[in-house]
Amino acid sequence: MKKELIELNVNGRTHELAIEPSKLLLDALRQDLQLTGSKRGCDDSSCGACTVLVDGIPMLSCTMLAASCEGQEITTVEGVSEHGSLAAIQKAYGDWGGAQCGYCTPGFMMTVKHLLAVNANPTEEEVRSALSSNLCRCTGYSQMYQAIKAAIEAEQKAVPST
Amino acid sequence: MSLPQFRLLRPRSVEEAVGYLATHASNIRVLAGGTDLIPSMRQKLFEPEYVLDVRRIAELQGIRPQRGVGVEIGVLTTLNAIEHSDFLRKHYPVLTEAAATVASPVLRNMGTIGGNICLDTRCLWYNQSLTWRKACGFCIKKNGDLCHVAPGGTKCWAVFSGDTPPALLCLNAEVEIASPSGARRLPLREFYTGIGDDYRKLQPNELLTRVFLPESSADYRGVYRKLRVRGSIDYPLAGVAVVVKRSDGHVSDARLALTAVNPAPVLVKGASAMLSGKTMTEELADKVGDLAARTAKPLTTSALTPEYRREMIRVFTRRAILAIANN
Ligand SMILES: Cc1cc2nc3c(=O)[nH]c(=O)nc-3n(C[C@H](O)[C@H](O)[C@H](O)COP(=O)(O)OP(=O)(O)OC[C@H]3O[C@@H](n4cnc5c(N)ncnc54)[C@H](O)[C@@H]3O)c2cc1C
Ligand code: FES
Ligand code: FES
Repeated sequence: MKKELIELNVNGRTHELAIEPSKLLLDALRQDLQLTGSKRGCDDSSCGACTVLVDGIPMLSCTMLAASCEGQEITTVEGVSEHGSLAAIQKAYGDWGGAQCGYCTPGFMMTVKHLLAVNANPTEEEVRSALSSNLCRCTGYSQMYQAIKAAIEAEQKAVPST
Repeated sequence: MSLPQFRLLRPRSVEEAVGYLATHASNIRVLAGGTDLIPSMRQKLFEPEYVLDVRRIAELQGIRPQRGVGVEIGVLTTLNAIEHSDFLRKHYPVLTEAAATVASPVLRNMGTIGGNICLDTRCLWYNQSLTWRKACGFCIKKNGDLCHVAPGGTKCWAVFSGDTPPALLCLNAEVEIASPSGARRLPLREFYTGIGDDYRKLQPNELLTRVFLPESSADYRGVYRKLRVRGSIDYPLAGVAVVVKRSDGHVSDARLALTAVNPAPVLVKGASAMLSGKTMTEELADKVGDLAARTAKPLTTSALTPEYRREMIRVFTRRAILAIANN
């Protein structure tokens, strides 16, 4: 099939790509843009390792066409760090064992980033419900709940209350 | 796995979309949220020449209450938007409850109500890769003439596994369908055929555009109960939706519908008559549960045994009725 020229906005930068219309967003990110943070964990749209934000909303990049995302803003795990250093949630996942093999972690980062963006102080139940989109085969999830709690506390300390 | 090759069309209006459908009717597939179609295309269950991505059609988005009439829901409204609509939660709670159980939060950000209504029927022998299906022998639903579920049979039993259609059936929903010859409206209960490999009455040149819920079915109490192995991500293995309207402690009207146990979502015949005019007691809940279990025809299309899934239809029906009675 003939390749088509599309514009993809990823992590605040616009890229021009020549891709086939059938190309999945995940493959465009990994193969064409060398953004290999997003992972293919299952290939049947169920594990969440490929989660990215599309206009701020978590979606599965393995289940979307890259060409369908033209005109939308995509954020991948590579866009989560702040000024070259780890975001609070990334650091907390490291500190608390929220990541073991790490394969699922980029997907969880995007899910948690969205959760904290819409709800700065979620209850345990809200955290569990938000994370129910992503599967992890290593951690057993408890360490992630602790990491998220720690990240929220770190954020609150960083922002002095007035 | 990559997708088969196709040409991508991205219309901005229903008119433009219907134009494309008219021109390419023999070889085109509608793509909404893609959470059903894309996994199936990976498995080479569909290899259309054209894919019509309708996501940019703004007029098919949104929930619009119409005073004195009911509510109109654009087919591209996501399940997440349905789940979080205050209007729907207040007036049509069975629908928000059912929408909230679909797949996972991220999949509900993507999946649409139109896609949920049009969802392909499922079977353990069908939703598999090409290599897998070839090794086992192609079945009636795709490329073959075998049925692994009912060997020797000629009918396809692939099971309808959407969560919102039973709720929509209880609410007497109607759907609007656009085609090159204009728009038509159809009660949702006439949309499904009950045949696994030809499960919906939608021509290849037709587009589902809107869902209507009449005001006459607003403000019923409603409950949806779903059987699945994990608390998230999984399709239903049995599902029960119930709506009840009460006056003076009696049931004045009620409807009951099932999903994931037949090739179509079905209203349980006789349930309304059994409940209407009665007080909701445990005995009555048992009787309706028996009726629901007799309507369910689960087969080995899905995980868990058919016997267990049928039994859970009985149990969930009973629990749903008692939950409404005790609320
Ligand atoms: C891991 C996983 C778990 C899931 N679990 C559930 C579950 O628990 N319950 C459940 O109900 N679903 C489940 N689903 C299926 C799916 O996410 C939902 O049913 C969703 O609502 C489908 O909508 P969509 O917009 O993504 O559909 P699409 O994939 O875009 O479309 C589905 C089908 O409908 C057709 N179609 C879509 N819109 C239109 C239209 N406007 N006009 C004509 N045809 C149309 C398409 O051509 C296609 O055949 C699951 C999916 C996955 C991947
Ligand atoms: S790779 Fe996308 S959901 Fe698993
Ligand atoms: S850390 Fe290994 S899968 Fe989650």
